[in-house]
Amino acid sequence: MPTTTRSSELRASRPLRSSRLAAGAVGLALSIGCAHTPAEAFFQLTPESAQHRAAETRQFETSERNELLSASAAVLQDLGFQVVESVRELGFLRAVKERTAREYTPEIWRGLLLAISSLGFISGQNTLIWMPVDLQQQIDASLVSRPIDAEGARHEVRILFYRVVWKSDGYAGNTYIPPGQQRMESIRDPRIYQLFFAKLSKAVFLEAHKI
Amino acid sequence: MRTPLRSAVWLATAVALAACATPPVPPPNLLAPTEEQAALRAMQTRTFDVSDRTQAMRGVIAALQDLGFIIERANEQLGLVTAARFAEPNYNDMVGVTVIARPQGADKMEIRVNAIYDNKPITDANIYQNFFATLERSLFVGRTEAAQ
Repeated sequence: MPTTTRSSELRASRPLRSSRLAAGAVGLALSIGCAHTPAEAFFQLTPESAQHRAAETRQFETSERNELLSASAAVLQDLGFQVVESVRELGFLRAVKERTAREYTPEIWRGLLLAISSLGFISGQNTLIWMPVDLQQQIDASLVSRPIDAEGARHEVRILFYRVVWKSDGYAGNTYIPPGQQRMESIRDPRIYQLFFAKLSKAVFLEAHKI
Repeated sequence: MRTPLRSAVWLATAVALAACATPPVPPPNLLAPTEEQAALRAMQTRTFDVSDRTQAMRGVIAALQDLGFIIERANEQLGLVTAARFAEPNYNDMVGVTVIARPQGADKMEIRVNAIYDNKPITDANIYQNFFATLERSLFVGRTEAAQ
């Protein structure tokens, strides 16, 4: 009889220990996730500001500001965006497109993790981990075109691409992770900007001749 | 076992009743101007020697872009610009900015900026000073050195 008691005690203490571990891991993840940047950091120019500006900006030798703006809208449409805001007087455009965010690599990792975590069934517990992956994304573009000399003979176009990504649902043991967790990030890949401006300069050239 | 349960039920009932008895009453001075509001308004407002509203708004937009903000909305007739950015590296928080430019007389422009972080208003005067410093640079310093 004492043996039974001891083993049941052992069985009872094991989930407790693992839940404490899980709570610790969640706490750690939360504390990393909630790193709070002080507000003053967002209102100061940083060494990266100039680099970002250079990557996001191009100048065009044209006085046709309406043509430049409508060519920008046309290029965004070619890239699959829908224009959702436009202010002609300020040369402002905002455009949006939604795309799937699923990729092969996270799916492979998800499968591997599921296979590894299924080994926990040997101990008789549900340790299955079905990791949430990126499911859907909304890519936004915010564009401003403005004259950079007094005569308005040269214009500067600056565009910023950013995206919001939504995650799928998942499981950690018996705990269900609901879908819809989201994160937002600026797109910093210079190739995206180069592609946009290559298309825009081509469009401006063609349309300049069209008039 | 029964006594703690019973007392818990009583406690819960008492709390529920107390909540019913005193509905939240907004203070009568909720919308009245306060000293803090006047101080906040002073630190959020600055007047610049600019006569053209469009030029002022272009300067505001350029300054916000330099600071990494995304321009969300603009209204030229009202002199209004709304922008936001992610509070990187925490991707759940947002910093939101609303700027309004209003002409003061023939050759002055009053620019007021409201900033919120994590849905709470920013009340630090230094932050607004930094913003106006960036704006001044963007309004008056030549910007022809941008990448070709």
